[in-house]
Amino acid sequence: MWSFYTFILLIFGFVSVLDAKSSSGNSVLVILDPARQPDYSIFFNGLKEKGYDLTFRAPKDEAPVLIEDDIPSFAHVILFAPDSKHFGKDVTPQALVQLLSSQTNLLIALGQKQNLVTSLAPEFSLILPPPGSSLVSYFPERKEPPTVVPIDVPSSSKILSSSSSPVWFSGVPFALGNNPLVFPILSAPAEGFAADSEGSTADALFDAADKGGEGLWAGSQLAVAAGFQALGGARATWVGGVELFSDEFAKKEISKGVKSGNQQAAADLAAWTFQESLVLRIDSTTHHLVGTSVPKEHYTTNDVVEYVAQISRFNPSKDKWEPYSGLDDLQLEFTMLDPHIRTALPPVPGSPGKYAVTFRVPDRHGVFKFVVDYKRKGWTHLQSSTTVPVVPPRHDGYPRFLSAAWPYYAGAISTSLGFFLFSAIYLAGDPREGNLRGLRAKSTKAQ
Amino acid sequence: MKLFAPLLLLAATVQASILTLQSPKFTISSKNGDQLRSEPISMTQKPSPPLQLSPADTLKLSFQIVDKDNGKAVQPQQVFLRFYDEESGEEGIQPLRVASTGKVKFELNMSKPPLSLPPTSTAPLQVTLLLGSSSHAPLKVQLFDLYVPASYPVVPHPDEASFHLLPEIQHTFRPDPKLPPRFISAVFAGAVVFGPWVVFLVLLFTISPRIPRLFSPNVLPFTLSLGAFEYLLYQYWVSLKLGDVLLYGAVLGLVTLFTGRRALSSIAEKRMGAKP
Repeated sequence: MWSFYTFILLIFGFVSVLDAKSSSGNSVLVILDPARQPDYSIFFNGLKEKGYDLTFRAPKDEAPVLIEDDIPSFAHVILFAPDSKHFGKDVTPQALVQLLSSQTNLLIALGQKQNLVTSLAPEFSLILPPPGSSLVSYFPERKEPPTVVPIDVPSSSKILSSSSSPVWFSGVPFALGNNPLVFPILSAPAEGFAADSEGSTADALFDAADKGGEGLWAGSQLAVAAGFQALGGARATWVGGVELFSDEFAKKEISKGVKSGNQQAAADLAAWTFQESLVLRIDSTTHHLVGTSVPKEHYTTNDVVEYVAQISRFNPSKDKWEPYSGLDDLQLEFTMLDPHIRTALPPVPGSPGKYAVTFRVPDRHGVFKFVVDYKRKGWTHLQSSTTVPVVPPRHDGYPRFLSAAWPYYAGAISTSLGFFLFSAIYLAGDPREGNLRGLRAKSTKAQ
Repeated sequence: MKLFAPLLLLAATVQASILTLQSPKFTISSKNGDQLRSEPISMTQKPSPPLQLSPADTLKLSFQIVDKDNGKAVQPQQVFLRFYDEESGEEGIQPLRVASTGKVKFELNMSKPPLSLPPTSTAPLQVTLLLGSSSHAPLKVQLFDLYVPASYPVVPHPDEASFHLLPEIQHTFRPDPKLPPRFISAVFAGAVVFGPWVVFLVLLFTISPRIPRLFSPNVLPFTLSLGAFEYLLYQYWVSLKLGDVLLYGAVLGLVTLFTGRRALSSIAEKRMGAKP
């Protein structure tokens, strides 16, 4: 019986390994107190079923290391140690930033205590409330304490499944700076605010706000989960409370008979962080004169040129890159120092993943670039730049017969013809000068 | 019965703990103290028309928070005014101070707007009162819509624009060079061509030379090779490159050398023969 079960498990495991993967690797390091590991079993099992290879490490452990010989050891790192004061000596803010710049994705949970994570957060333009604060909301009326808050999933969210029910949250809300690389994934409720404890009174809140500056953390401008996409493409997700991922909240009912959206939201957050969802890439770009298909090494001013880009999106359920025609706001720039032309790069109907535009090259010569720079919050940034010189027409590239110069052409051709006719007559003439003599005879007669 | 006890308890607490506002009202006064508008606030519907504040006006808001059942004053933990601009999504939250009698007073002086007032656009700010307490059910009252003078727009991050659709840029091309009317060009081309040719043909017919050896096998190849040179030069203008012209010209030159020698020697022979 045992072996049968193991067999089933093996099969299941094998199928699930094939089932879904990240576009950037499957190895995950989880930094978590081993005693708390069972609290998040639903979340971690979900990841394992998707095919991730989880390695656990206690915060104070020295191994396995994050970066070995300057090469990150894992494709993704989950940092679920908001309450740990001390970490292994290779877990430093610098190491986490280095991970991010070497394409490793981070999923980080914040806590109320000050530690490495809270000191790293400002580098990502997160503005945290004073230590010890947590999100408090008395709305809606419920039997849970005010620090356990149900949060609606925004219907416009690209990262979280909009159909899921509200998510239980308990933890720290944070404000976001105006850095465009960071964006809220889950906003705090408008009625919520950050407070030291439940016992804080209206007076204390008033005094905090009255101090000015960042005195009060309140309202829907705060976020409880935020995404940050580094310029290199790696993703970091910040979550205000690790309880969002817990089994307790995943099983907790949001209202009678309705399961909370935590399990789905946690999986969606991980899917975005681990580069499963909203991942794009440019497969190829090419350019050519209209009517031809071979790219030219340089173009002449006023040429009509077609630019074509092929774009794919990662499909995690098939672990495959698939042509994607869903971008309707892609733009192409033709730049020399500044963009001379910026035009929409629309998808070509009928050919999936293909985006093309035709335009006339400006009448300025110089070294130009075809630039595609597509940055949208949540999506992978697409960047492509192709350098191409634009030259003035060659000496023989101008029109040969301008109407303004017709007299000149006519004159030259007529002179040529005259020369030819004269030569023909002269060569074919009678050498005995009979004609001349005849002419002379005529003229004497006339006299 | 045991099972239902907590539920009943909950129901009882919910029943017992509803907050309400007593005598809520607002007053708008101008800089020199004149009262412009003063009305009580209804809990169910917003005052119409919406409130309007000019840059020097002051809005005063006052109410008392009481328990709906026993009328006792309550001091909730959370007494917030939320200003929300639906158009821009900007939001500001102003906590209010509650006296132990449950009385709350708030003054919004537009000459010194508080930090909590969000940047405003042309849309009105929706003002909501949020009351939250651990002992009572929370209360959310839509107080009124408020027009305040527009603020300076928010200055976005310099890179923020590149995360949105950018305005299209079109290149302004130089206008095509202007050409004189084709008719005039044609007239002058005609004049250039016909003038000399008329003179030439008139003179030619006057002397009407005999050309007995036009198709003579000695002379014709030379004439044709001279013609070929002219044609080569024409082709140079139209399409050929210098290298091609030099190559063809060299070949043609060699041919012309022989045809020319033959033609000229034949002419010389004729002339010598014609001499008495």
